[in-house]
Amino acid sequence: MKVERFQELAEAYGADLRRWPATDRAAAEALRLAEPVMSERLLFEAAKTDAVLHTSSTPQVSMALRDRVIASATAAGLSPQRVQRIARRLAWFSGAGWAAAACAGVVFGLNLTTQLTADQQVDAVLYQATLDGVDDTEVLG
Amino acid sequence: MALTTDPDEDLVRRVGRGDPAAIQAMVARKLPRMLALANRMLGDLAEAEDVAQEAMLRAWKQAPRWKPGQAKFDTWLHRVGLNLCYDRLRRRREVPTETPPDRADDGPGPDRGLMAAQTGIRVDAALALLPERQREAIILCHYQELTNIEAASLMSVSVDALESLLSRGRRALRQTLADLAPGHDPGASPSPARAAEGGRK
Repeated sequence: MKVERFQELAEAYGADLRRWPATDRAAAEALRLAEPVMSERLLFEAAKTDAVLHTSSTPQVSMALRDRVIASATAAGLSPQRVQRIARRLAWFSGAGWAAAACAGVVFGLNLTTQLTADQQVDAVLYQATLDGVDDTEVLG
Repeated sequence: MALTTDPDEDLVRRVGRGDPAAIQAMVARKLPRMLALANRMLGDLAEAEDVAQEAMLRAWKQAPRWKPGQAKFDTWLHRVGLNLCYDRLRRRREVPTETPPDRADDGPGPDRGLMAAQTGIRVDAALALLPERQREAIILCHYQELTNIEAASLMSVSVDALESLLSRGRRALRQTLADLAPGHDPGASPSPARAAEGGRK
């Protein structure tokens, strides 16, 4: 890392290297060791701006706001009982879905079996037609 | 999309199940951040409370269907909070108010004993006077402590553009608030505002 890049980063992110992009930190630390006077001067300047920024007042969350926000969670449907009701309903629908799928499978399977049997019978008749001396009833039963 | 490690993942899952303790923990963790974000973006505590409350309401609605691994919940919540702030800032521009925003106090420096109480107000006022994008960059990176990639993504700018906004914003604040910087000698180098005032005399 060059001194110019170090300066850019200090001016953008401040003096605390933990706030710098993770990809630049190792190179910045190396530059600090290689150019201690220059780098510390740049960080000192950045630290002055940091100190000013840190004096900004941070609003405190009032109890009234906190209570309103917690109450809004219930209003949005986030209560254990309601979530459990929804989960039970989803489980019921899920069970009903599986049952419906199973019924559909049975019906499909029966249809498929009938269809396959019919196809086999047709094949047998056609085969039997090519043979002499075989009665249809022997094939079709 | 790459999987993201989210420190809020477990808490969001518990909130989604309606766990009262998780809801309280989420309020303790996120409400102060949303309030600080909105207060610095809008410069109005009452509006900031409304925004923070609305952002948390959307968090409650999102929690049951939150899909972990795609984005950090905190980044998503910042997106919600910022959009709510943008809406209010846009409305302000459309309906100009008769009262101009507070300006940074360029008057004589306060007494040392009062400085701690008044410095924050001056810094907030100076922050409010910054161009919107510079202010937003400083709020997201310095105060909300988002990474440069998260902040750039939220602002829909490149990381280089974010760094430029940060540098310009910090430089402007440094010039406006030069007399507050540690080690400043009031008699040696007047702030630009006072220098300008002196030049007019």
